[in-house]
Amino acid sequence: MKNIALGQYYPAKSPIHRLDPRIKVILAILYIVCATFLGKNMISFGLLLLSAFLLILLGRIPMKTVLRGIMPVLFVMAFAALFQIFGKSGEILLFEWKFIHIYLEGILAAVFMVVRIFALIVGTTIFLTYTTTPIELTDAIEDLLSPLKKLKVPVHDFAMMMTLALRFIPTLVEETDKIMTAQKARGADFTTGSIIERAKALIPVLIPLIVSAIRHAVELAVAMECRCYHGDGVRTRMTVRHLRVTDFVVLLLMIGFGASLVWFNILGIGFSL
Amino acid sequence: MDLPFIKVENISYSYRDEDGAAIPVIRDLSLEIEKGEFVAVLGHNGSGKSTFAKLLNMILTPKSGKIYIDGKDITDENMSEEEVFSLRRRVGMVFQNPDNQLVATVVEDDVAFGPENLGVPSAEIRKRVDDALATVGMSKYAKHEPHRLSGGQKQRVAIAGIIAMLPECIIFDESTAMLDPIGRKEVLATVKKLNSEMGITVIMITHYMDEAAMAKRVIVLNDGRIALDGAPAEVFEREEELRSYGLDVPQCTSLIHELRRCGVRLDGSCSTPEECASLIARALGKE
Amino acid sequence: MSEITIEKVSFYHGKGTPYELKALDDVSLRIHSGIITGIIGHTGSGKSTLVELFNGILKPEEGRVILDGEDIWAKPKEIRKVRFKVGLVMQYPESQLFEETIRQDISFGPKNMGLSQEEIEERVLEAASFVGLDEALLSKSPFDLSGGQKRRVAIAGVIAMRPDVLILDEPAAGLDPSGREAIFSNIVDYKNKTGSTVVIVSHSMEDMAKYCDRIVVMSGGRVFMDGSRDEVFEDTERLRSAGLDIPQITSLMLLLREKGIDVDGGIYTIEGAMSRLLPLLENRSKGDIQ
Repeated sequence: MKNIALGQYYPAKSPIHRLDPRIKVILAILYIVCATFLGKNMISFGLLLLSAFLLILLGRIPMKTVLRGIMPVLFVMAFAALFQIFGKSGEILLFEWKFIHIYLEGILAAVFMVVRIFALIVGTTIFLTYTTTPIELTDAIEDLLSPLKKLKVPVHDFAMMMTLALRFIPTLVEETDKIMTAQKARGADFTTGSIIERAKALIPVLIPLIVSAIRHAVELAVAMECRCYHGDGVRTRMTVRHLRVTDFVVLLLMIGFGASLVWFNILGIGFSL
Repeated sequence: MDLPFIKVENISYSYRDEDGAAIPVIRDLSLEIEKGEFVAVLGHNGSGKSTFAKLLNMILTPKSGKIYIDGKDITDENMSEEEVFSLRRRVGMVFQNPDNQLVATVVEDDVAFGPENLGVPSAEIRKRVDDALATVGMSKYAKHEPHRLSGGQKQRVAIAGIIAMLPECIIFDESTAMLDPIGRKEVLATVKKLNSEMGITVIMITHYMDEAAMAKRVIVLNDGRIALDGAPAEVFEREEELRSYGLDVPQCTSLIHELRRCGVRLDGSCSTPEECASLIARALGKE
Repeated sequence: MSEITIEKVSFYHGKGTPYELKALDDVSLRIHSGIITGIIGHTGSGKSTLVELFNGILKPEEGRVILDGEDIWAKPKEIRKVRFKVGLVMQYPESQLFEETIRQDISFGPKNMGLSQEEIEERVLEAASFVGLDEALLSKSPFDLSGGQKRRVAIAGVIAMRPDVLILDEPAAGLDPSGREAIFSNIVDYKNKTGSTVVIVSHSMEDMAKYCDRIVVMSGGRVFMDGSRDEVFEDTERLRSAGLDIPQITSLMLLLREKGIDVDGGIYTIEGAMSRLLPLLENRSKGDIQ
């Protein structure tokens, strides 16, 4: 239980790992926009699919890991595809049986939908989880949102809360494990009975867990005070990130990619829907 | 005459129980600690020793009495925030549960937390973090996640986090109580080093007698008062008294007392096996 | 009077993951009935895994765990019955407390056994008295107690199941000297009155030397030493080679031997040291007078 992976960070030394986390957040947003709005025809979807594989390659993430990440949404993908296949009408009828009509447009729409979801997942996970640690991500978001500090939005406080949550998840998971063992030793049964009985059986785990979480929080607050924490104020950072030329180049490439999608859409070549 | 680094004058502290009655924890306590001292504070659970530590670090404020650190009255309610933080920087604190002191998900980020809060320039923080990790022997683990470390390693990271603030005094509030023997040894060796090599004043709150034997001075708290105050060997001489405070003496000291009770003449006092061995060897004419 | 035997047990943590760790490696061991067995070893030596195998919290990947002649995993559906027979008090057990009153918390185990209300009440009172908890406290909240008292409530919660075998993992961790002594003397009392088999896991050599009849030393997932208290503590060299501390009195004896004084290294209690040193010192002072 000690080895749970947080945010599925995949340690490697790839070009994407080396990018500035702030840039990666922007890249992820741009890529989401591309995948959601800019796929219109076979060429643009083809490019999206290609780019997704290129990202996996550049991030040096094994295909197996990526596929495992997609597993949970496989059901959504399948459902969306079937919905398109059976629901979409068009001009070229491929198959007809009683009330079922399947059109070429439907098949294509289903393929496009699967490509879109695939690109969305690959884009967000490659930029934000596989190549960026949770803490880098939190810092990046704090930086990007820092203009909001002028509007009195407590950006730093939220970022700190996120950091602490990330820090304490493994500790609490370990504790849950211990408490469950202790209650099992007293004959608690978590695996049989109706749903209500099982939910009830969790009370002896939840209460000690909450008590312990509160104790952690109180002691942590005192320890932080002893280490002179007093909010954002005069706070400095050990690692100050400077944007490098590559960061800007990659950003431009992404914008270029979006622009080319738009251009292909305007040209209207390929089978557009 | 120099002022003592820490001067405690007649402080009292009490908390209220659920019925609102005041329960005294510290009663009219006074003491002085010089710069560079290594003091162990002993006492059974509930003797007031942890409260005492929290009073020294301004987490609690005494109900009456004064505490001076380097001549500065820390019980002054009108102190500015900056003054409070500059005092907290000078008197660091390491707690019992290492998990509840580490704030970051990477070791070196955690050590940087204190200096970052103090607004130290980035390059300087980097240097302090590297130095602090080297001092506690954890440089190798700079990029590790704290939750994968052993208890002793986590506690050493916590100590590095305090050293990086360049304190003059560190209070260890039962910092070894949750560790296994290897972890305890690692932490104790670090504490010793901080005191002897870096000249940091150490106040070690503990109920392990062998840890107290490491100190130059032992203060025994009982019922919120100072019951004994002296060199370890002197304090351990009072075996009966210590037992009445719910404490113990090291096995060796106990053996010497037992031998004396049987009429054997043994001159001198002892708190470690080495001292005890030479005491017996001398009595047998072997030294 | 119950006996646990472990036969060729191996156990891995996180089997099949990159973090796979062999915690126990072909361990065979007998826990004798009616006495206190101490298990010592460093963190990671496999001792915590071992005790979780004793009561069926963990299932061995290879080998068998036998309680009174029967494989505890013969009927996996009835493993809870084994947990009632082999009571396990985990490290820092006070973190398991959850009920509104101490009485209810101690009743949790007996209730899970499906006992009648009268039986439960009787057991709660009995368990509370074993650990020295005042009856008047029983209607209070466990969260209002001091650390040492919480520990007692948690231990009572396991004793109330009247297990034939009682296992305690570091029962005195974090307690002050008087608290330690009180907990251990409660355990010894409990063993004497009920004749239960008791297993104590601890880091403290002094406590082991004081309270245990037999000692098992674990190292690197294997049984490193197994014998009576005398046998284990006499072999100082072997204890040290496992990187373990030896009782302070034993290291004193070794220091004395280095100084040319005729004592043996297998002495580990103050009484033992007294009976060896007193004659020597008395002879010497007689010699002085003559």
